[in-house]
Amino acid sequence: MKVAVLSFAHVHAAGYLRLLSRMPGVEVIGSDPDQDLAAPGEVRGRALADEVGVAYAPTYEEAFAWGPDAVIVCSENARHRPLVERAALHGVSVLCEKPLAASVADGEAMVEACRAAGVRLAVAFPVRFSPAYAAVKAAVASGEAGRVLAVSGANNGSMPNRARRWFAEPELSGGGALMDHTVHIADLLDDLFGDARPVEVYAQTNNLLHADEVAVETAGLVSVTYSDGAVATIDCSWSHPRSHHSWGGLELTVVGERATLEMDAFDQKVHGFDERRGRGTELPFGADLDELMLRAFLYGPEEGGIDVADGEGGLRTLRVVAAAYASAESGAPVAVG
Amino acid sequence: MPPLHIGMLGAGGIARAHLPGWLALGARVSVYTVDGSARKLAAEYAESGHAVTAADDLGGLLAGVTAVDICTPTPTHRELALAAVAAGRHVVCEKPLALTARDAEEIAAAAVASGVRLHPAHVVRYFPAYAALRTAVARGDLGELAVLRFTRGGARPQWAPWFGDPAQSGGVIMDLMIHDIDIARWLAGDVIRVHARTRGVEHATRTPAEVVTATAVLTHASGAVSHINGLWGLPDQRFRTTFRVAGADGLLHHDSTAVPGFRITAQGVRAANEGIPTSPMTESPFLAELRDFVASWRLGGPEPRVSTRDGVEAVRIAEAAVESSRTGRVIEIEEAAR
Repeated sequence: MKVAVLSFAHVHAAGYLRLLSRMPGVEVIGSDPDQDLAAPGEVRGRALADEVGVAYAPTYEEAFAWGPDAVIVCSENARHRPLVERAALHGVSVLCEKPLAASVADGEAMVEACRAAGVRLAVAFPVRFSPAYAAVKAAVASGEAGRVLAVSGANNGSMPNRARRWFAEPELSGGGALMDHTVHIADLLDDLFGDARPVEVYAQTNNLLHADEVAVETAGLVSVTYSDGAVATIDCSWSHPRSHHSWGGLELTVVGERATLEMDAFDQKVHGFDERRGRGTELPFGADLDELMLRAFLYGPEEGGIDVADGEGGLRTLRVVAAAYASAESGAPVAVG
Repeated sequence: MPPLHIGMLGAGGIARAHLPGWLALGARVSVYTVDGSARKLAAEYAESGHAVTAADDLGGLLAGVTAVDICTPTPTHRELALAAVAAGRHVVCEKPLALTARDAEEIAAAAVASGVRLHPAHVVRYFPAYAALRTAVARGDLGELAVLRFTRGGARPQWAPWFGDPAQSGGVIMDLMIHDIDIARWLAGDVIRVHARTRGVEHATRTPAEVVTATAVLTHASGAVSHINGLWGLPDQRFRTTFRVAGADGLLHHDSTAVPGFRITAQGVRAANEGIPTSPMTESPFLAELRDFVASWRLGGPEPRVSTRDGVEAVRIAEAAVESSRTGRVIEIEEAAR
């Protein structure tokens, strides 16, 4: 199995390269020619490939000429589309970093290009591979939780622009925290709610966090109403302190008619304190969600396990985000387009 | 100051929470109810030598007391508060002050006209974790606040049927979430925009397993946003409150069940409801609240932590949330109304 990681713009590229290089039977190369928009000091291109210890293709032409069975697109959100279309042209399965695109128009074009070419388009939502989410899903799917009434979720992280500046540059990212962090929980609910679809979105945002540094929204609350009446309120803020020893997390509370469920996708950790560094420390011992996602993408889902999100699902979550931006702008609830 | 004589109206759950506080402050308490339950409560306390008696006549009671403490169902607050104010008595009133901002404003205006104090009993301001949060925020530890989250939930109240009737209690938003609505406003200032949704069975039929939950997004004049989440849940839903408040310079969070100071890990059987109540590790927040109110009755006494306006504004925001939940619209709160 030959896998190429296209662009190292996203912080996840290095992690994917490492995981793929450790998978038996997988050959991996990286390619990162478009470094024009990187900030000084961001480790990109061959330097990153060398650091991780994987082969490097200086151009995308060479990466595709190598004959990959699958590619993973890790470019800036606004640059997903050309790489996905290129993969479609070459007939190569593609896993695209989330969100699917920076605009619904791009997302639609990508889904259509892959459909027309008969190429599989998947979107990188690793949290759906969390065992905690599997437990939530099992309780809901079996009917034990009863009808789901409401969900409240938080996907808070620290502002990611120090690792990669483009995250807070709207022409590349499509926005700020609302674009970056609404989609993970929206994707879980897209899966959890089955046929129920998001119909209306209300959102309020501000940029009171890091106001002196970036112009995009850094905090936001998003309420999504689904076609079965369920309501989900999501805190998508970059409100996790940057000097904190962890990156943030993802929590969900599901209120059903017959059970109340809570999950924390990233708190399988031993917590402690590091005296030498004078800060808190943690030892994650939970499942590696990225690894589970990559395995499902490359080899298909495990027996009874969840599959990667497809392009249509990625497009639905992107439409929720687009409606959220329209609502934050108008101050009123907006129908999901 | 002459010895405190409190006219306690009502003898239900919140009266029982306030009563030990009044006694700790050295007050004599006369309890008045319309259903005879005052006698039972007074007898319980009199047995252990406390100065608690039952009063039969509201007019006579109002003539003799220092202040009244309204611990009755919400729909009766307005009439009782207006009577007490007319008799020239300070009023402590359980939250919500009234079911509508209009009624709350009427009571507040009457208190001003009579020159008496009106204290909305937003006791969460006296819960130590919330007080510590407020102190840190006021000191500027978190910088400018950006996004606040509050949750509050427990088993659906079954001890008094009026809670299950939104026409009487205002529902989960007005009765339960108003606590955190008040805290959000206390921390991040006035609220200009409200969006809310209520799900589940609002009007309880007294079958036990009925859940109602609501979510509200508040936008403050500062631009900060608050998420308030409330749950009247299943019979085994453990009472729990949480907050997470993030500002430009830091983050504070708390879970009432995470650090109880003391917990019972076994008691032989799985207790219905909460089982043995866990002992508070600090002074009763109800006592702290009542002491703060009483201190303001002295000439030149300090202003209490909760003002009359705080109680009115909490009702205004909660009423907007109920309206938003009912109509599906966003409710703007005009500056002139605040």
